[in-house]
Amino acid sequence: MSELADQSATDTGVAMQLKAQFGTDCLFQPTVDGIPTFWVSKDRLLPVMSFLKNQIKRPYPLLLDLSAIDERLREHREGQPDADFTAFYHLMSLERNEDVRIKVALSDADNRLPSLTPVWQSANWYEREAFDMFGIVFDDHPNLRRILTPPLWEGHPLRKEHPARATEMDPFKMTPEFQQAQQEDLRFVPEEWGMNREAKHTDFMFLNLGPNHPSVHGVFRVALQLDGEVVIDAVPDIGYHHRAAEKMGERQSWHTFIPYTDRIDYLGGVMNNLPYVMAIEQMAGIEVPPRAQVIRIMLAELFRISSHLIFYGTFVQDVGQMSPVFYMFADRERLFSIIEAITGGRMHPSWFRIGGVCQDLPAGWDAMVRDFIDYMPKRLAEYERMSMQNSILKRRTIGIGQYDTAEALDWGVTGPGLRATGCDWDLRKKRPYGGYDQFEFDVPIAHNGDCYDRCRVRVDEIHESLRIVRQCLDNMPGGDYKALHPQTTPPPKERTMEDIETLIQHFLNVSWGPVIPPSECTMAIEATKGINSYYLISDGGTMSYRTRIRTPSFPHLQMIPLISNGFLIADLIAILASIDFVMADVDR
Amino acid sequence: MRWRLIKTEPDASMKQVDDAFNEDLADSVLVTKLQDLVAWSRAHSIWPFNFGLSCCYVEMATAITPRHDIARFGSEIMRATPRQADLLIVTGTVFRKMGPVLQHLYDQLLAPRWVISMGSCSNSGGMYDVYSVVQGVDKFLPVDVYVPGCPPRPEALLQGLILLQEAVEKDRRPLAWVVDETGGAERIAKPNQRDLRTPERMAVTQLAQPTTVGDAPLSGELLSSTRSDRREK
Repeated sequence: MSELADQSATDTGVAMQLKAQFGTDCLFQPTVDGIPTFWVSKDRLLPVMSFLKNQIKRPYPLLLDLSAIDERLREHREGQPDADFTAFYHLMSLERNEDVRIKVALSDADNRLPSLTPVWQSANWYEREAFDMFGIVFDDHPNLRRILTPPLWEGHPLRKEHPARATEMDPFKMTPEFQQAQQEDLRFVPEEWGMNREAKHTDFMFLNLGPNHPSVHGVFRVALQLDGEVVIDAVPDIGYHHRAAEKMGERQSWHTFIPYTDRIDYLGGVMNNLPYVMAIEQMAGIEVPPRAQVIRIMLAELFRISSHLIFYGTFVQDVGQMSPVFYMFADRERLFSIIEAITGGRMHPSWFRIGGVCQDLPAGWDAMVRDFIDYMPKRLAEYERMSMQNSILKRRTIGIGQYDTAEALDWGVTGPGLRATGCDWDLRKKRPYGGYDQFEFDVPIAHNGDCYDRCRVRVDEIHESLRIVRQCLDNMPGGDYKALHPQTTPPPKERTMEDIETLIQHFLNVSWGPVIPPSECTMAIEATKGINSYYLISDGGTMSYRTRIRTPSFPHLQMIPLISNGFLIADLIAILASIDFVMADVDR
Repeated sequence: MRWRLIKTEPDASMKQVDDAFNEDLADSVLVTKLQDLVAWSRAHSIWPFNFGLSCCYVEMATAITPRHDIARFGSEIMRATPRQADLLIVTGTVFRKMGPVLQHLYDQLLAPRWVISMGSCSNSGGMYDVYSVVQGVDKFLPVDVYVPGCPPRPEALLQGLILLQEAVEKDRRPLAWVVDETGGAERIAKPNQRDLRTPERMAVTQLAQPTTVGDAPLSGELLSSTRSDRREK
């Protein structure tokens, strides 16, 4: 291990700095993605994290991810300390444009960790999730309770012994007693959240908004403490949309998990496939041919436009303009006719493959795309006049739900919500992945960080996406749409007809799926709503050992109390709309 | 007071007036049985409850927007409260955590009420055979129409709605409030659409090819990158 530590010292600065500060306490672990990964002991965790956030030169202000791994059944752990569970922390530095991953080994008997909430408030929900999923106890956490599963749930789902399938468990029965008990358990008790029922001159009202309400965009619940119509405090409650995608990753083959990624951010379509297949490609060492790269970028940007159009329409609808959403859905239908012609699907095409895309572009795609990108700017100009310049909309949204860059980073906000505060952090520009370095585009930013600016940034991004799509259209390279690597899944069919070796490869790849060498890899992309990353761990099998999905909407919702307290309920609706979340992207 | 004299024997001019009156009457007066009228108007004014679970909800919302326009079938009035709605469209995955809430909402719908299960998750759990998902909303709610798809196209939902309307239109419900064993709710028949449509579907011989886009013209540069061309290389 000492030679690994030496190796790390030469290639990254952070290893040197950690070594200088903490001596040999930090153990380096090499990973495929090149993110410096260090093991620290649990009593050193808080000092190390606080050092990385506050003291180190060019610090790491963004807690990108925090979760755990159940290591008990893992075979390939060469060079890693013994552990039954591993908690991992993924930090991001904007100044360095670098990440660092910190891991802590835990045993089954002693799975307690100090809470990170004194250093990062955004760790609150992540730790609740790790507690819910793995049973890891975080000492001194302000309110350590289940977050995704129902309060009366038994067991911790991401532990290996917890059943994955509903059909392995007792059949679901809705008895009146069960319903009563569950509903009673969802009752909001202000005291549990440290709230008073009355102040000196007023009795507070508690309003339960959701989990089914027209303006909470899905099954999301927020309990409000109100003084008249003014929001004093808010408690977002999630987990009504927990589809267990991470558990699903442990039982689907690498290839057959792709459709599940589509349904994470269900407005993002194939954009969700991208980080997943790119992480696998990195682990398997697959080079994607340029044509496949450009096809992927074109479809991902078309889906960004589609997602932003829905945001645009619902946002202006939520602040009172009833008509625009109809125009924007009509545009989305035009866009979907292209998606349908190319992929055969609408919302969830599941069209990217390990090593390329599913099919080549159909003849005639270019005319359809050209029609659309010629048509769209005129429509956007109309919407600009109709909505963005509308004085009522401006008065409803300017100065509402404001936060600055420092707050955004502290709460893990990424994507348009971060760029609306004047920070031009866009992974497509900062860490061009999958061929984005070949494109000319700007990163739209705004400066106030309020609801209006979050909409402004997204509207400008539609224009930039159209620019990227036009470049794809004008410069679509020829060549293969799938790599010729043996792990490409499914392998190009034509070649199987030529010799027995490729036929065997094809058969194994299609029946078992590809075998990915033991490795760990994180791939992050700039998705429609912020940074979406997949942290995949392969144990050398045909399935992932652990699939961690970092979604942007999860931390965004956690921030709601901070930006809505003191505003009216009507403002809260505007704030919710401006965050642009879908619940599948929160609860996965 | 207005009055006029009429002749005791009708002449030609009066006959004309009489015909016109009868024609007008035929255009503007409908003679039917009350229960038929009620069934007809129920079928064409089914108000859905604005309820969404996941991805399918977006496709349901799309059914309201211009290209699909659910208003053509009288169902554009989305109610935000179950007490004003007739139809619950279960759009998306039924989560164990959400199940008791959904049951509570269903209980608040006033009879006659109908349930459309939209999408694979709601029909059977679909691709989510996983601990947090109920394997089909029919595990605890009575379903009238199942719409397949993941998510179903808006057209598929409209087809489901039409099937429901046809069934509702045939249904004769008591016009007064009666106490009977069924509580006034008779289940509608659910014929298997796949079996009904198989002959029609099997008759299709020309299928669209995934290598071309409708009737779009082939441009020269594009031909060089089509699949068949590259296979020769």
